[in-house]
Amino acid sequence: MFRKVFYVLCAIALVIGLWGLYVRLTTGHSEANYGSYVVWGLWVAMYLFFAGVAAGGFMVATLDLLFNLEVFKGTGKIALWGSLVSLAAAMLIIWLDLGHMSRIWKVYLQGNPSSVMFQMVWGYSLFGLTTAAALFLAIRKPGSVGLKIVMVFGLVLSIFVSGAVGALLGVQAARPFWHVGLFPVQFPVFSLASGVAMMLVMLGFFAPKNDPNRQQQLWILSISSVVLLLVKLYFMWADYSQSIYGNVPMNVQAVNEVLFGSRWWAFWILQILVGSIIPIIFLVQPKLAKQGKIAGWMGVLLLIGYAVARGLIIFPALSIPELDLLVQSFTGPHLTFLYFPSAMEWAITLGAIGLATLGVLLGSQYLPLFPDSAAEA
Amino acid sequence: MSIVEEEAKTAPDSSRRGFLRNLAGVAGAAAVITTATRKFPPSSGKESIPLAVVKTYEPPMVDGFSDPLERMRADMARAIDKPAAERHWVMVIDLRKCVGCNACTIACVAENHLPPGVVYRPVLEEEIGTFPNVTRRFLPRPCMQCENPPCTPVCPVGATYKDENGIIVVDYDQCIGCRYCITACPYAARTFDFGEYYTANRPEESGVMVGPAAEQYETAANHEYGEARPREGEHGSPIGNVRKCHFCLHRLEKGMLPACTSTCIGRATYFGDANDPDGVVSELIASPNVMRLKEELGTEPRVYYLT
Repeated sequence: MFRKVFYVLCAIALVIGLWGLYVRLTTGHSEANYGSYVVWGLWVAMYLFFAGVAAGGFMVATLDLLFNLEVFKGTGKIALWGSLVSLAAAMLIIWLDLGHMSRIWKVYLQGNPSSVMFQMVWGYSLFGLTTAAALFLAIRKPGSVGLKIVMVFGLVLSIFVSGAVGALLGVQAARPFWHVGLFPVQFPVFSLASGVAMMLVMLGFFAPKNDPNRQQQLWILSISSVVLLLVKLYFMWADYSQSIYGNVPMNVQAVNEVLFGSRWWAFWILQILVGSIIPIIFLVQPKLAKQGKIAGWMGVLLLIGYAVARGLIIFPALSIPELDLLVQSFTGPHLTFLYFPSAMEWAITLGAIGLATLGVLLGSQYLPLFPDSAAEA
Repeated sequence: MSIVEEEAKTAPDSSRRGFLRNLAGVAGAAAVITTATRKFPPSSGKESIPLAVVKTYEPPMVDGFSDPLERMRADMARAIDKPAAERHWVMVIDLRKCVGCNACTIACVAENHLPPGVVYRPVLEEEIGTFPNVTRRFLPRPCMQCENPPCTPVCPVGATYKDENGIIVVDYDQCIGCRYCITACPYAARTFDFGEYYTANRPEESGVMVGPAAEQYETAANHEYGEARPREGEHGSPIGNVRKCHFCLHRLEKGMLPACTSTCIGRATYFGDANDPDGVVSELIASPNVMRLKEELGTEPRVYYLT
């Protein structure tokens, strides 16, 4: 019944996503609400989110497939599958964000290696191949030396690509809100936190209940989630408080935009209340955290909070004019610092989420991702 | 000569033509007198004051040129004779002269056939002070054409780069439209072409302004970078590309000044080769009141402002 509900929701999301795709392919970017000032919108934020989940999922998979932790035995393949599916969603959504989708091959064959974006695209492409190879080996040759080597390589890559995402933003001296040395350090931690949250969902909703280690796995993942969440909140506090103390106008404006601006509700309600406080309350209680459905839903809330957090990194920095009075100097479509995603943007995002969720559902049901190949009915 | 003719020659001309001729003569004489001296009644005790006699308007010559544009064109002629790598194009904008008319903005839109939502040279307007001590300041903002551009290293496909003239260009056939360069620019000098049309969703009428001619103008080719690119459909370049000021490179290559420079009604914008010590821009950037935007970022803009 639970799966059927998810299948129906996925179907609805995919239909909506197909409509968004139709609009995107027939009208280009004209129906998007991002513009020449807020140039990156919901799709870039979701790319950061999905890419982070992908990297984090791989990190969690190493607990079983590289470090052979007994308590996590049998969780590696589902973690890799979640990583792969999430990466596919990330690549799809960022591909649709390009002005010329058909030119994506140029990044591979005519790329500029000094660009952090080039490094990130290559890194994630290599990471995707590594994840697929690891999953293949984990299914066909579990415990093999080849699998260990691939897992080591993949772990290093997952940290590198996560850091690259942070560096993508951090190298921008034009954006003081991003130009923080801590960004390449924070993002691997965010990725790990996202991967752990994803595992709560995977194991809580889609894994067989007959695994004797399941409750212990959920408990460890819950505590890890809480710790990583607190670390993330600490990073955020350090960043925001230093910005306000330093009093660089562009920086302070961006922080105020997050805390008290038009998106205050996204920060305080979605990221803090829904994505942090509520999960902490539930996950620190072992009786609740060890229940699959509760752990799964807390994983969903955590993921919502992390997705919103990515958006609140992207949008505020771009909402602050580089030059005062710029917006009044020339008016026209897409020349505004106000941004809320358009219907097309939401539709595509929903479609990508639906596709990723469908991938998880089908994989957990039809692929040998669990020790006894018996997916939850 | 008959008596009639002699009298006609010596007597005052009483015809209407004669009246007008005399009137002009009196007026002319009065004009000459007026412009030559100002006389006072004898009873005033004041002496007449000599005034400047201006027969025709001749603008003051500066360095041998009657208009700064003429001097800039002469500078250009010398510059384009040099190899491109030896030129150092700079733009100097005298903020004391800029009146905020936005003629440069419009000239740029017209020259480069810019669609809605794409702007290369907006003019920032700022009101300073409080009444009664209030003033307005105008700051045109083209692309700074930085010596150390933060926008070029971030491009994942090398579509934007500094060409041999030192101008930061965008290869419309290479650009994938990721917009990373836009986030990197501290001057918001780049905009993205979203494929908008002025005539979209408008009723088609007969006539020039709202008839098919307007749409035909919109889809006609622009000639940026010396390439004829018609604007068609929703996806063909430059739609989906990042676009920016390029100092009207297609005009420079023909020895012409950028459109904004030629159009400026206040002669506030100067353009030339800073490697030419005799050029007007070389003199201006040596002024003590010169400044550049956001110098602390180390971008080394090639656009200077006189304040």
